[in-house]
Amino acid sequence: MSDTMAVSMNGVRKTFGTKVAVQGIDISIPQGSIYGFIGPNGAGKTTTIRMIMSILFPDHGDLSVLGKKSAIESKDRIGYLPEERGIYKKMKVGSFLKHMGRLKGLDSRGLDKTVKGWLEKIELEGVYKKKCEELSKGMQQKVQFVASVLHDPDLIILDEPFSGLDPVNMRLLRKLIDEQHSSGKTVIFSTHVMYQAEQLCDHIVMIHEGAKVLDDTLDDIRTRFDPRAIHVDPVGGLGMSDQIAQVNGVAHVSPVENALEVVLENNVDPQIAMKTILDAYPMNRIEIKRPTLEDVFIEIVTGGERSADAELLRAELLAGTKMDEEGADS
Amino acid sequence: MNISKIMRVAAREFASTAMTKGFIIGALVLPAMMALIIPVVLLLSINAQPPADTGKIYILDRSGEVNETVSERLSPEAVEQRWQERAENAKDFAKNILGNNKATESIDQASIVIDTPVFQVIPTAPDVDIEELKEEMRLQVASGTVPADELDNLLAIIEIDADATRKANDEEGFGVYQAFFRPKLNEETIGEIEGSIRWSIREHRYLNAEIDRDEVTELSSVKARESKEITEEGERKESSGISSFVIPFASLMLLLMASMTGGQYLLTTTVEEKSNRVVEVLLSAVSPLELMTGKIIGQMGVGLSLLMVYNFVGIIALITFSMGDLISPLTVILIFIFFLLAYFMFASLMAAIGSAVNDLREAQSLMTPVMLLMMMPYIFFMPVIRAPNSMFSTIVSFIPPISPFIMIMRVASNDPPPTWQIALAILLNMIAVVLFLWIAAKVFRVGLLMFGKPPNFRTLFKWIRMA
Repeated sequence: MSDTMAVSMNGVRKTFGTKVAVQGIDISIPQGSIYGFIGPNGAGKTTTIRMIMSILFPDHGDLSVLGKKSAIESKDRIGYLPEERGIYKKMKVGSFLKHMGRLKGLDSRGLDKTVKGWLEKIELEGVYKKKCEELSKGMQQKVQFVASVLHDPDLIILDEPFSGLDPVNMRLLRKLIDEQHSSGKTVIFSTHVMYQAEQLCDHIVMIHEGAKVLDDTLDDIRTRFDPRAIHVDPVGGLGMSDQIAQVNGVAHVSPVENALEVVLENNVDPQIAMKTILDAYPMNRIEIKRPTLEDVFIEIVTGGERSADAELLRAELLAGTKMDEEGADS
Repeated sequence: MNISKIMRVAAREFASTAMTKGFIIGALVLPAMMALIIPVVLLLSINAQPPADTGKIYILDRSGEVNETVSERLSPEAVEQRWQERAENAKDFAKNILGNNKATESIDQASIVIDTPVFQVIPTAPDVDIEELKEEMRLQVASGTVPADELDNLLAIIEIDADATRKANDEEGFGVYQAFFRPKLNEETIGEIEGSIRWSIREHRYLNAEIDRDEVTELSSVKARESKEITEEGERKESSGISSFVIPFASLMLLLMASMTGGQYLLTTTVEEKSNRVVEVLLSAVSPLELMTGKIIGQMGVGLSLLMVYNFVGIIALITFSMGDLISPLTVILIFIFFLLAYFMFASLMAAIGSAVNDLREAQSLMTPVMLLMMMPYIFFMPVIRAPNSMFSTIVSFIPPISPFIMIMRVASNDPPPTWQIALAILLNMIAVVLFLWIAAKVFRVGLLMFGKPPNFRTLFKWIRMA
């Protein structure tokens, strides 16, 4: 594999007994990029990440990490925040971080300063001497994030890094991840909450039932999956769907949350259509609908058909999103 | 394998186990206190005898011969003299067991204060109704107070049959005696009274039969010079009970305790790391094999420190009592070697079990067979120590993982096995250790990230083949 690839997987397959967890995945992640692995719970994200980390080994296929045959040879250059992340409850926060730092090959000289610097960065200066069990879950999670980046790794892999964080800490963590990315680190993170990926990633890998269903940049995905729809909130109220449906170029109108979704006929320019609609009826709000990763995901999985299965899947995804959105800031 | 990472894991493992108050108190302070308390308790039990019984004894002697002898024998002077003699004999007995050394000097110096009972023997007329005497005792006991004059305290009523010293006819044999005591008398008091009655009855039987009692005593006493063992090097004193039982048993216990403690802690910390979900964080920095090796080495440190402390205390104790020659330096060295072998096997099992289960409760079912295995050395203690070189002892001392325990018993016994057997056992155990570690590493790797249904032995076996 080429040296510019931080991670590359070739036909990687993993089974547990009779269950196929990952089936023939090919991924190439260039150095310096920020990649999001998305997909619903149980899609195979964690298994894929564990294989990248050489915690699990693929049954078939080739894998290279930072130019080495396996992550074992470059463990000290990788930072990993597992989904199942724990902490030594009885250990002091400072000792825990220093322990992890030394396990990652850091020299004990200057380690104390590095640890304290990081605690300051995550706004937890006072916890150095506290026992880990005295911290709240969100605090522990930030400490665990520090444990994964303390040794200044070239490749950072974060499995569901945002789960369980409040909005303020979510923003802080996003800032820290952005910082790592802009200093040239490769970042891979997984999430089942797709909008988090939209906010951070420049490249998305979508995994469904153990297979890669999408592998593209966010911009390309947006263009490719343009829903050709406009969201409007008429001054006359949401009851005006029938009138709007009569406007030239509109295929059909359906109510969505706090707005009407206006789906356009093929070969109609959304910009012109917006103008036409605005001319016909005054609007409180009018905007081009941007495809969300959820929509893209559902379209890929269901082949674009609006079936009962698709609705069910959407409901499931939204339920998952809702739970995590309660703490989200946007 | 990255040695510095392994040592880092080991250091944390050791610190998190041995540098805790619980461990220091439980494993070091408590035994040390026990060691201090035992002599104190012994001293107390010697000195804190119950107050001697004082009071009167009614003798209802229907034979008319015995009561005078009993009165003499139970007179305060006679009792005092006999009790002194007995104390001297006890000292001599203790000396014989311990051998001639400093310990016996301390026994000599120890002034054994004896509080002898004081009896007043009151013969009653042969025609007194025993029920009246019993009624007196009943009233005294019921009133619950010791009479103002302590000698008035009724201790016992003895009824002696008329034919106790002379047979009425040849068919029936001698008559009997019966004693009635007040409740809660000292064992020694009862022994003294009954012993004197029997002695007196016997005395009169000899007299009546015209047999010289001293002659009978002389005839029935058979003495011997001290037994010796003849060995290659020459004669030696027959080994005493202490060296043939206590030292092997102590060695066995030390070995079991040290390896089990380390192993148990290993199980606990492994289960903890797994249920805490800290294990995957660790696996991002170290490989499963490095993690397991580090943990095993860390707990080995725990076991070793226990072993050193206890060995040190034990050796100091032996030297204090001038019994240092009971344990040879070779035995001490072998205890450490066999500890390492036993520990590595036990720890492998514990690491494998700890990695396979989700919590300590689930570990119990898998622990049962291991615990049974660890019971084997106890069960084999007697047969092995009775015949350290029997076919049975020799065979079991070569079967890992109990081999180290059996071998150390044989080595510490007074009939040590030939050197080649010790060497062979070490070799066999080393091979077993490699095998145990290899199996444990496989289970460990798969087990660490397996959550959910607790595994049984069949799944464990599958993991071994899978990894």
